[in-house]
Amino acid sequence: MPALLEAKGLKKTYRMGRVLVSALQGTTFDVAEGEFVAVFGPSGSGKSTLLHVLGGLDRPDEGEVSVDGVSLSTLNDNALAEVRLRKIGFVFQFFNLLPRLTALRNVELPLTLADLSEKESIKKAEDMLKLVGLEDRMNHRPSEMSGGEQQRIAIARALINDPKIVLADEPTGNLDTSTGGEIVQLMKRLNEEKGQTFVVVTHDPAIAETVDRIIYLKDGRIQRIKKGYGRL
Amino acid sequence: MAWESMRQRKLRAFLTTLGVVIGITAIIALASLGEGFRVSITERMEQGFELDVLTVIPGSLFAGYRYERFKDTDVENISRIANVSAVTPVMQIGSVTLYNGEKKATAFVAAATNFSEFQQVFSDRFELKEEAMPDPVENDTLIIGYKVNYPNKTETAFAFPREKINVTLSIPKQTIPPSVEYENYSFTVAGTLQEGGTSGLTNFDYWVFLPLDTARKIYETSLVDLIFVKVPDPEFSENVAEEIDALFPPYQITVLVPLSFIQQVDLILGTVQIFLTAIASISLLVAGIGIMNIMTVSVMERTREIGILKAIGAKSRTILTMFLAESLLIGLVGSLVGVPTGYGLAHVLSYIIARFAAFQPDWLRSPEVERAVIAPIFSWSWVIIAVIFGIAICILFGLYPARKAAKLDPVEALRYE
Repeated sequence: MPALLEAKGLKKTYRMGRVLVSALQGTTFDVAEGEFVAVFGPSGSGKSTLLHVLGGLDRPDEGEVSVDGVSLSTLNDNALAEVRLRKIGFVFQFFNLLPRLTALRNVELPLTLADLSEKESIKKAEDMLKLVGLEDRMNHRPSEMSGGEQQRIAIARALINDPKIVLADEPTGNLDTSTGGEIVQLMKRLNEEKGQTFVVVTHDPAIAETVDRIIYLKDGRIQRIKKGYGRL
Repeated sequence: MAWESMRQRKLRAFLTTLGVVIGITAIIALASLGEGFRVSITERMEQGFELDVLTVIPGSLFAGYRYERFKDTDVENISRIANVSAVTPVMQIGSVTLYNGEKKATAFVAAATNFSEFQQVFSDRFELKEEAMPDPVENDTLIIGYKVNYPNKTETAFAFPREKINVTLSIPKQTIPPSVEYENYSFTVAGTLQEGGTSGLTNFDYWVFLPLDTARKIYETSLVDLIFVKVPDPEFSENVAEEIDALFPPYQITVLVPLSFIQQVDLILGTVQIFLTAIASISLLVAGIGIMNIMTVSVMERTREIGILKAIGAKSRTILTMFLAESLLIGLVGSLVGVPTGYGLAHVLSYIIARFAAFQPDWLRSPEVERAVIAPIFSWSWVIIAVIFGIAICILFGLYPARKAAKLDPVEALRYE
């Protein structure tokens, strides 16, 4: 079976003030469809940069990413945005919801960007909110919700366009242990029930235990790849 | 989206929009007031000048070369031009003094003319107050202008119809050096002219009229000083004037065309109006810079939001459109509020001007104060120009911050705190 996501020899250096930081130094790995993969590593190991490059938010200096058979390096900015819209869902550590929009409108946003009719997109967003268990918080704004609830909204938003893959950057990093656990459970459930592919960047060992595969990253290099326990 | 984000920043959006409102208000107020000013002046001039009457006078302003008065053949030639409906020659005698027993009156102009021809040219004005025009006209018939007969409204008339009066005329004598002799002639008053009132080119209120044939006998000449030419419609006046010009050697006569005066004045006033509106437009420009300023701040504040939008798949064009929509909305709301406000302001200004006119000292006040009021004129074309200009300014000044937002790097934007 061809890999859903292929990363080949990714290199990325960026400038932090006067210092050149080598975030990725030739990273290569695959993710198969339906897999739940964790990228594990200490902070500063290049995890976030890797996730940005995988999701087409950033371009690698060298190397190649392909998602669902599409090589991202051949695409211009507009086409890349289109890939992010249709094939990739992002979940962030700080939720990154739009503060002035309600939960429903936040979830609906990618559908609006995809030019879906309002009636259809509201229906889909409502269904998605039910799936993450927040149908009664639909008309609340992010500031009126707990961190866990906000992250569920963010997950609902990531899933709304039926992406091929969801990329999550420290999704539990800003939550307490039990709420973080709930979020991990939700992702795991979506992975098992819908076959949703996840790549989660984390340094939370609790996540690492539940996934199919763990990629250990240090200083922009893969140290080892280990099979996870695949259980909660 | 644009609407929602504006609601969040109510005060700021309000102030930004207020700038546009003030700009549009200033433009509409000055434009409609200027238009009213232009129309009221043009109307007053049209009332003063008879647009369908051309005046042919000897000499030229530029050459200073004087054609030796007009002959009967000149008058005949002019009357043969197409689209000339009436022609009347006038011999001008200058100021004369009239005596009726003890009473004395002065006319600034004594005009010798053929009464029936003259009435054909000035059919609206050359009418007697008390009765019909004299028919037949005797050699000693005299028509008196209104202000000559009634110098003060309170006093009784200087002369009544059929009264005999004496008129002192100055007769130039061919002596060396040339001298003038005053001679008295007796005339019978036919009646008083209607009050003209308007301050046009020719106000007959201070004139007296005597028959041309009589004047020709007294002065022993058949030459006349000016010729009035009537055209059926003012639109023929330019063409007829050209044809009259062609009858004489170049630069020896002048044809006064009231229509071209008015057109010139109208052109000047139109230019003044555009100038005023252009000054008002500066305030809109300032409002545009305000928009640019506020939008740039807004882009910075919303950097993270832009990053999020880009991460979930918004194209640069979408971000650009989003910010442009906001400035477009400001322009649209500002224009829609500014147009009625500007028109209202124009009315307030016109009221203030009218009050100011009413407080003028008597010697400055025109006889018809009510007509000095300038009514602002609402014109859709100005509204359309102002709205388009307002929106264009908003888009133009919104473009820079919007492009800045669209070009943000998503990773940098997401990192922005």
